[in-house]
Amino acid sequence: MTRNDRDKGKRNKFHSYYDYSLLFLTLFLAGFGLIMIYSTSAYTSQVNYGYSTAFLKKQAISVSLGVVAMLAASKLDYHLLLKPLPVIKMTPIMALYILCIGLQAFVLKFGKEINGAKRWINLGPLGTFQPSELSKVATIILVAYLVQKNPRELNKFKGFVRVVLWLSPLIGCIVKENLSTGIVIVGIIVCICFVATRKKLYYIIVGIIGACGIAGFIGLVSFRATRFRVWLNVETEPLGYQILQGLYAIASGGIFGVGLGKSMQKLGFIPESHNDMIFSVICEELGLFGAIMLILVFLLVIWRLFIIAISAPDLFGGLICVGVLAHIAIQVIINVAVVTNSIPSTGIPLPFISYGGTSVAILLAEMGIALSVSNQIKFER
Amino acid sequence: MEKSKTYNRRSILIVVIIIMALVVGLMSRLSYLMIFKSEYYGEKATRLHERERPIKAERGVIYDCNGIELAGNKPVCTISVIHSQITNSDKVIQVLSKELGLSEEKVRKRVQKNSSIERIKTNVDKTIADKIREYDLDGVMVDEDYKRYYPFESLASKVLGFTGSDNQGIVGLEVAYDKYLQGTDGNILTLTNARGVEIDGAAEDRVEPIAGKDLITSLDVNIQKYAEQVASKVYEQKKAKSVKIIVMNPQNGELMAMVNYPEFNLNDPYTLNYQVDGLVTEKQKTDLLNEMWRNACISDTYEPGSAFKIVTATAALEENVVKLTDKFYCPGYKKVEDRMIRCHKKGGHGSETFVDGIKNSCNPVFMTLGERLGIDNMYKYFKQLGLFNRSGVDLPGEANSIMHKKENVKAVELATMSFGQGFQITPLQLLTSVSAVINGGTRITPHVGVSVKKKDGTGTEELKYKTTDNVIRKDTSQTMKELLEAVVATGTGKRAYLPGLRIGGKTATSEKLPRGNGKYIASFVGFAPANNPKVLAIAMIDEPQGLYYGGVIAAPVVSELFDNVLPYLGIEHDYTEDEKKENNIGTIKVPNFIGLKKEEVDKLVKSLGIESIYYATEGDVVTEQYPLEGDVVDKNSDLILYLE
Repeated sequence: MTRNDRDKGKRNKFHSYYDYSLLFLTLFLAGFGLIMIYSTSAYTSQVNYGYSTAFLKKQAISVSLGVVAMLAASKLDYHLLLKPLPVIKMTPIMALYILCIGLQAFVLKFGKEINGAKRWINLGPLGTFQPSELSKVATIILVAYLVQKNPRELNKFKGFVRVVLWLSPLIGCIVKENLSTGIVIVGIIVCICFVATRKKLYYIIVGIIGACGIAGFIGLVSFRATRFRVWLNVETEPLGYQILQGLYAIASGGIFGVGLGKSMQKLGFIPESHNDMIFSVICEELGLFGAIMLILVFLLVIWRLFIIAISAPDLFGGLICVGVLAHIAIQVIINVAVVTNSIPSTGIPLPFISYGGTSVAILLAEMGIALSVSNQIKFER
Repeated sequence: MEKSKTYNRRSILIVVIIIMALVVGLMSRLSYLMIFKSEYYGEKATRLHERERPIKAERGVIYDCNGIELAGNKPVCTISVIHSQITNSDKVIQVLSKELGLSEEKVRKRVQKNSSIERIKTNVDKTIADKIREYDLDGVMVDEDYKRYYPFESLASKVLGFTGSDNQGIVGLEVAYDKYLQGTDGNILTLTNARGVEIDGAAEDRVEPIAGKDLITSLDVNIQKYAEQVASKVYEQKKAKSVKIIVMNPQNGELMAMVNYPEFNLNDPYTLNYQVDGLVTEKQKTDLLNEMWRNACISDTYEPGSAFKIVTATAALEENVVKLTDKFYCPGYKKVEDRMIRCHKKGGHGSETFVDGIKNSCNPVFMTLGERLGIDNMYKYFKQLGLFNRSGVDLPGEANSIMHKKENVKAVELATMSFGQGFQITPLQLLTSVSAVINGGTRITPHVGVSVKKKDGTGTEELKYKTTDNVIRKDTSQTMKELLEAVVATGTGKRAYLPGLRIGGKTATSEKLPRGNGKYIASFVGFAPANNPKVLAIAMIDEPQGLYYGGVIAAPVVSELFDNVLPYLGIEHDYTEDEKKENNIGTIKVPNFIGLKKEEVDKLVKSLGIESIYYATEGDVVTEQYPLEGDVVDKNSDLILYLE
């Protein structure tokens, strides 16, 4: 916020409500994430590259880009999203959505495989890009846009179906390769629609149908069924190795933890401990106390997003915040649940903390949009 | 918009509450894991992180009866490298190859191998290891270790045995007393990462090793050494295949020496102690090594031959089927059923008493005794004297006797058995039987181990062995001792005679199977002093060249052994009057020789009975003398005179 803005606010006797607490919470999480990535990846980096900061460096670059994007986005009015772009005569929302479908389709065909999953686009010297992260943002904005265009329609089942139909090309592209992202996206859609509608009954029905669908899907795809079996017998199934090692780490931490940087499990026992399993190392090093503190910080973020959502100047802004809130909450919950073996394993990163440049940069930008919503809240002093 | 706002607020609140509920659920799950499951998973994790590095326990020392170390431990070191910790690999390669005498190429290969820990060389001398330690190279580990070491190298090799690289006995005493000697390895528990590399600065848990217990044996280095010397001498002289000597205390079964010549070097047990012609396969080499390590004194059976007449005579006396004065006639053979069984003397011994019979080792006499005894009685005493069972010696690999089944023994078999043919026993079994015969009727268990104790000298545990009293009568034992002393004094064993030392014994010449191949085992069983035996010994010469009679070649071996061993054991010479006269034994008081002329000296010396005079200088008159006037000396000691 520049002096100029503040002066303008003063003159109008209105203050922009720029949510600094959310900004600092976000920056805190990103910073904390970098520390934990160094702690967890130093050993792997040393073994693979001969120096300890290989992963840290890459992540730090992404975080910097993300922070810049966040600050920029927070200063722009999010209503710009509704204005058609000059050349293509299309709102940025639609443009982003089409871009995402394109990228997802591209990744399906030409994607780079890492650890047996085809989720990345190789950008050569710039590293890799994971379009599914972008798709999440696109989903949030698009759903918020669709709903706010005609909120009443959502009170009928038809309205919900219409939203889902809009999104189905993207979901179709994603679910094929990456079930976990699919779950997150569906979760976001459901949350936004749930908030916007007056008729909650649909959701109960949809919830039941959805649960049946997921069960059917698990039954159909043996790969997922295996996950179920591993989940139930994590100590005996060889495929449960990673989760079991995570449990060892969590339990080793006890209440106060073994101390920052002193994890044993990160020394090659947990494969890729800086990725999805990073929370288990946080538990080991910082103990139950540290883990709960981290979760509380996430809850604070969610709380701030909630406040912004309910005070947003319009439905579009509010729904965007609900989407962001849902996005972060779903990822945190699923990640922690997987690491604690509360649900079958699925690969979802812990927001801001887990290693992954695309994920952290786009999340930060997304927070920027939420901040931009907060920036449009005007209140009388 | 505003209308729907309150509505939306409630909806968002519901979402947030659901999220909160889920998060609280997860927090409880987390608390459950980190508080209640902490120990369970934590322990598993620790087990995963901990690596045990064993610390070898020091193996117990084997001592002889004088406390001299027969098998000890030498500190050695193992040099290894940890790939990930090496900072200057060229220097490491250069230093290690120089100090360890390995080719640079070989060291380079090991150093550059990407493994958690790579062993470069084991059994490195401590001084070299200390030198390497001084270089203080990163990633080079020097681990201390023990190596079994046998200070006398080949002494009693087949009795002591040796150990493998894992501190485990392979043959001999090292196996028999392994559980005492081994001790308990300790270990160092260290934390390692997933690749097994130790983590610097992590606390070590150390479990100290418990050293093995020391074994005190009845072996006597001096007797063993002397016995080996005697054995090697006769081995060379007779170009024998092997020579065995066992020296035992017949009263309690303690083995003082056990020689299987040629012995092998215990510090280098995998090298044959002879040259092999041509190439041998691995398997052949293994067989040859096993053959070399074998303790034939307990593992090989043979026909005891005439030495076995001790048993037959004992049985006959015990059953009162013979009196010392009984008359026999030996025509040079005895006809048993349709077989003519010959005596070793072609013309026969003619008319003789039982005493003569045993002194002459006359086969027909003993065949007659066998006949009188019958197979039942014979086998009864075989059993009494322990010939059907292993002696129970505390050494591995003992063989048992090979005997006819009782129902298969007919007159001919009985006849041959009575002079020691037609069955096989081990030399040690024979000694066990003879011990019982001469010690007053107690069947003892021959043994080497006497006691075990801890390194600090506490916790001594005496090893117990089975004895059975009164397997024969005392008077039979007495008679047998007298008879066997007569065999040495005036019979076939006279070459074992030593003046002043009362030696009893029996010769034997066994023809190896198949008969007529001209291969023999010459042996002699002797004991001393005959009236109260303290030492019992057997000497066996396997396949001697030339003369092969036990009385001729084996008896002198025992005599030579006893000549040294008996004084060493403090058994005094006890001359009879005849012996004194015959061997010029006695003492004189040395008179004054100074001032005497040479002729006068000669005269005086002759009258005194001094035999050897040495003149240290030329001249006519004695100026100095040694021993001095008035000294009391043995008659056969030297007199040294200085003349002028």
